[in-house]
Amino acid sequence: MSSSSTALRELQRDLENKANDLSKLQKDIAKNHQVKKKYTIQLGENELVLKELDLLNEDANVYKLIGPVLVKQDLAEANANVRKRIEYISAELKRLDASLQDLEEKQYSKREAILKVQQRIQSHQAGKAKA
Amino acid sequence: MASSRGGQQVMRMGDMEKMSLEQLKAVKEQADVDVNLLQDSLNNIRTATARLEIASTSLHDLSLRPQGKKMLVPLTASLYVPGTLDDADKVLVDIGTGYFVEKTMAEGKDYCERKINLLKSNFDQLVEVASKKKTLADEAGVILQAKLKQLSPSN
Repeated sequence: MSSSSTALRELQRDLENKANDLSKLQKDIAKNHQVKKKYTIQLGENELVLKELDLLNEDANVYKLIGPVLVKQDLAEANANVRKRIEYISAELKRLDASLQDLEEKQYSKREAILKVQQRIQSHQAGKAKA
Repeated sequence: MASSRGGQQVMRMGDMEKMSLEQLKAVKEQADVDVNLLQDSLNNIRTATARLEIASTSLHDLSLRPQGKKMLVPLTASLYVPGTLDDADKVLVDIGTGYFVEKTMAEGKDYCERKINLLKSNFDQLVEVASKKKTLADEAGVILQAKLKQLSPSN
């Protein structure tokens, strides 16, 4: 009798740990989603800027806002800058996607594991009720 | 924003009838969240369009003033200093991410028009997506209600 109750306690502790892990995973996923959203917005803005820069004449005056000052910048330089930024953000988004997928897979397997432990606890309790 | 959850849009009426109560509830909740999100986006687009329209009209206003025109320039909301209009033909346009471009009056107006048109087309697309989502949410709600009614008399 006592051995089965310690086993049950063990299972419950296991379940608790797994549930904690799962909620941690879910928090990570939510955070990841938020970061991804931020980057997507930035990417969109940068693409708009690039489109606008592409439309300009070569002799157009371009300024960059640095702190409170507007600094004159070369159009080619600005263009290269924005392009580089888009490249960087795209790479970052790709990385985020990969890690998001990884996290979601982990979440899924955690859920499965929790379900299994729950079933074992139930069968334990059913066995006890009979005895 | 909506495309990340595009998978749910293939859901059909028949699929929903086969779903369990819990699943249906989840679908309904998700759809409601999406609808709210889309509504927020629509509102954002609307305010952005309004701001661009204000910019466009003030550009037009500025172009009507002659050079050397005396005016009061607001430094804060309640403090104005006198000034004269130097050059009304060149304007600086903020194109985002800290970049400003010097444009002529006509180009500036053209910029506003283009942005407004872009926003309008985005707005129309979003309205379509939002109305689709809304129907989905409504359908899920109706089926959910029907199922609940079916269940309650037997209890």
